[in-house]
Amino acid sequence: MAASATFDRIVGAVFLLLGIGAMWHAQGLQVAFAADPLGPKPFPAIVGAALAVAGAALVVRSGRVAWQSGAWVKVAAVAAAAIVYPLLLVPLGFIAATSLLSLVLARALGGGWWQSVVASVILSAAIFAVIDLMLGLPLPRGPMGH
Amino acid sequence: MDALGSLAYGFGIALTPFNLLLALVGAALGTAIGALPGIGPINAIVLLLPLCFSLHLPPESALIMLAGLYYGSGYGGRISSILLNIPGDPGLAMTTIDGYPLAQQGRGAAALALSGIGSFVGGTLTVVLLTLLAVPLARLAVRFGPAEYVSLMVLSFALLSTMGQGRIAKTWASIAIGLLLAMVGVDGGSGVERFTFGSLELLGGIDFTTLTIGLFAVSEILIVVEGLHGGRIADFKGGERLRLPEVVGCIPTMLRATGIGFLAGVLPGTGAAVASALAYTAEKRISDRGTFGKGDMRGLAAPETADNAAQTASMVPMLALGIPGSGTTAVLLGALMMYSITPGPLLFTQRPEIAWGLIASMYIGNIMLLLLNLPLVGLFARLLLVPYWILFPAILALSYAGVYAATNSAFELVLTTVIGVVAYVMRKVEIPLIPLLIAFVLERLLEDNLRRALSLSDGSPTILFASPFAIVFWVLAAVVLLLPLIAPRLRRRVRDMSESEGT
Repeated sequence: MAASATFDRIVGAVFLLLGIGAMWHAQGLQVAFAADPLGPKPFPAIVGAALAVAGAALVVRSGRVAWQSGAWVKVAAVAAAAIVYPLLLVPLGFIAATSLLSLVLARALGGGWWQSVVASVILSAAIFAVIDLMLGLPLPRGPMGH
Repeated sequence: MDALGSLAYGFGIALTPFNLLLALVGAALGTAIGALPGIGPINAIVLLLPLCFSLHLPPESALIMLAGLYYGSGYGGRISSILLNIPGDPGLAMTTIDGYPLAQQGRGAAALALSGIGSFVGGTLTVVLLTLLAVPLARLAVRFGPAEYVSLMVLSFALLSTMGQGRIAKTWASIAIGLLLAMVGVDGGSGVERFTFGSLELLGGIDFTTLTIGLFAVSEILIVVEGLHGGRIADFKGGERLRLPEVVGCIPTMLRATGIGFLAGVLPGTGAAVASALAYTAEKRISDRGTFGKGDMRGLAAPETADNAAQTASMVPMLALGIPGSGTTAVLLGALMMYSITPGPLLFTQRPEIAWGLIASMYIGNIMLLLLNLPLVGLFARLLLVPYWILFPAILALSYAGVYAATNSAFELVLTTVIGVVAYVMRKVEIPLIPLLIAFVLERLLEDNLRRALSLSDGSPTILFASPFAIVFWVLAAVVLLLPLIAPRLRRRVRDMSESEGT
């Protein structure tokens, strides 16, 4: 896709809003007691202002960003799987949940169905074995219980 | 204690069998992870940080292992740069220019050997300088009050924005976001909740492992899934081996590159990318007979040596001042902070086992890596043949397992993913992530010092400009900030150098 200034404008506008939001949030803090004369408000306000200024600069003098878009459907699928993953982790357990996540990613990276299924299950089990069983850091076990 | 005595003490710590083993594990794992295409040093550290932390290693051991990973990943990163033409990290972009042609000419093995030697020379000479310089610098820095620290940090942000990659406004935005993210949670001085939006999970702030895994590992994987990178592996077997005269011919190059790398690495914000670019450009000026870019050994030795020298030199401000100059040292500092250790000049006197153990381990690590890499490079290179559909699911699974092990919370995993997706979008619109990370690590130090300064002066901001050092730092910061206006061409050249193709 061709280079366009639109991306910089959008990003700048987002930064501008975030910066203003941060300043607004800082002003709204209810401070009952502060150990120092400055207190917790001014620093976030200053940083928010800096963010807003940087955002405004990007809106006003936007450069051209070449947005190369590849397989964005796959990116969206992997991102969605990674968002759902934490919700499944505790109920299903680490091995099952991670196998599902790895399966989506392996498929997105061009693995065949059988290859991806086998690889996902093996690597999830292997990581569980190393981290939970060998190193003793507990990972969720799901229906298998403790 | 003089430098040599302290160093001997450091060796006493680094040479214990346990720490030696950790350094070896770190170096080997680092080389393996660094060798994976597109995965840079920062990913290697980030991936293992949660595990290091949750295993409750003593801080000096954790740091020794992480530093081993850091060096190892640099050694490993050059494998994919030279054989695949894919630099794992901006600092390695220059390596591809002469390294890949060498590999195409069937001299991949020689190129890898030379880059290993160059890295060793750059790393070791710089550790010697670090040993001699760290304590005097720390002694000077001990006298810094809050005002000096505030101005010094503003100076390092200014350097980041002017010297770093990307547009100035984008770097500042990245710094501001890093600072804001670090403010999430309960404020220590007043008990007020900031940016928590009523969420209980956010009260303790954003976990460092959550941030780093999201920022680097998750976003990296999304970039890989998008599938815009690619490359064919060049042959690394056979071919003419590296000859001694070739190494000897590169010695002046390596010495020059070490000097450049050290200077660039000590400054916050410049780091390895600028160092290797400067060293390559300088070497091209000095020795090019039309052979650079076509597989000249010196063109390979210069950026490799400078890259490692800069990596090591960036430990100087990290150890002596507590201010990280690069993304990787920011991760090391963040690791220290996870152990509730305040980095800074007092580290040398209060926790000498950490400071000197780390420095001694760098000597050992460099030797270990040379011994590990010269014979085993072929083995590491074979990692490039592992298909992506096995490699990246394993990395993603390991990332999430690490965050869960460190935080024991599914919420942190959601946050990791959200940060990863946002970081992916930021990379697409060319907003640098390293400044965000450095700012996140520095926020506490910056805000605490700002508030402490104003407590000393009862709220009058003039205290920030009241000492000679502080004034010098403010003036330097102003000069650095105004530099792009005074000399736009200079900045453009620095930026072009650090923004080579492929990153």
